[in-house]
Amino acid sequence: MTVENEIEIMGQRLNEKINNMFGRSLHIREVDAGSCNACEVEVTALSNPIYDMERFGVHIVASPRHADMLLVTGPVTRNMELALLKTYNATPSPKLVAAMGSCACNGGIFGDTYASGGGVDKFIPVDVYIPGCPPRPQAVIFGLMVAMDKFEQKIRKTEVKA
Amino acid sequence: MLEILKRRFRTGIVTTGYPAVPDIAPPGFRGKPELSGDRCTYCGDCVSACPPGVISLEKVNGEEKLTLSYCGCIFCGRCEEVCPYGAVKLTQEYELASKTKDDLQTIIRRKT
Repeated sequence: MTVENEIEIMGQRLNEKINNMFGRSLHIREVDAGSCNACEVEVTALSNPIYDMERFGVHIVASPRHADMLLVTGPVTRNMELALLKTYNATPSPKLVAAMGSCACNGGIFGDTYASGGGVDKFIPVDVYIPGCPPRPQAVIFGLMVAMDKFEQKIRKTEVKA
Repeated sequence: MLEILKRRFRTGIVTTGYPAVPDIAPPGFRGKPELSGDRCTYCGDCVSACPPGVISLEKVNGEEKLTLSYCGCIFCGRCEEVCPYGAVKLTQEYELASKTKDDLQTIIRRKT
């Protein structure tokens, strides 16, 4: 058996283990890192009877110490930079990070300025990006499913040559 | 008490079956913008109109390259408005979650 095969098998096992850990339920800590509150409104809508996130076993918790996943919104502002890092360090491993909204993905409309960090991935490693301004609640549910490996991502890099 | 129960039954179930039942966005919803390689003339109107500046036009080695990244896109629809050739269209697609930033790109090229 070659080393590459072994690494592949190890990767599969690790994947199964992670799926077992996060497969049944997911506890999310929502971090507002300088967002305009539009994304927060959509996250609140996730727990209403129409979208009802709890039917997948997804809960919003009040402390990062109870959480498996951080749902970060906003282009990390200078004031929220330290708070985000502290929250990340307080979350027990293994942990997932989802960047929700265009601001969290790439800075969005705020861009990369002296007051705005321009994206969560410049500060902490991000597992899933959910673009949208703000993303629909369905898009957030889809993003969480992608993060939990229940669904495959639909979008791929497209290149057209003329 | 009976009134409340009655109302409860009249309302029925409101929860969407979203991941199992596909949910189509309402008409007029501004979702994923798509570039059309046949219509685009690489004039750069959309590049200057884009508020977050996620559309970029590059000219390298005699090749023009128009890149649109969904990562910072705010789905305002300005690119669709200003394009005189109708090369940018906003679709109703909204399931854009991705594990890598690289997948959130769409590129069209042309040789000059």
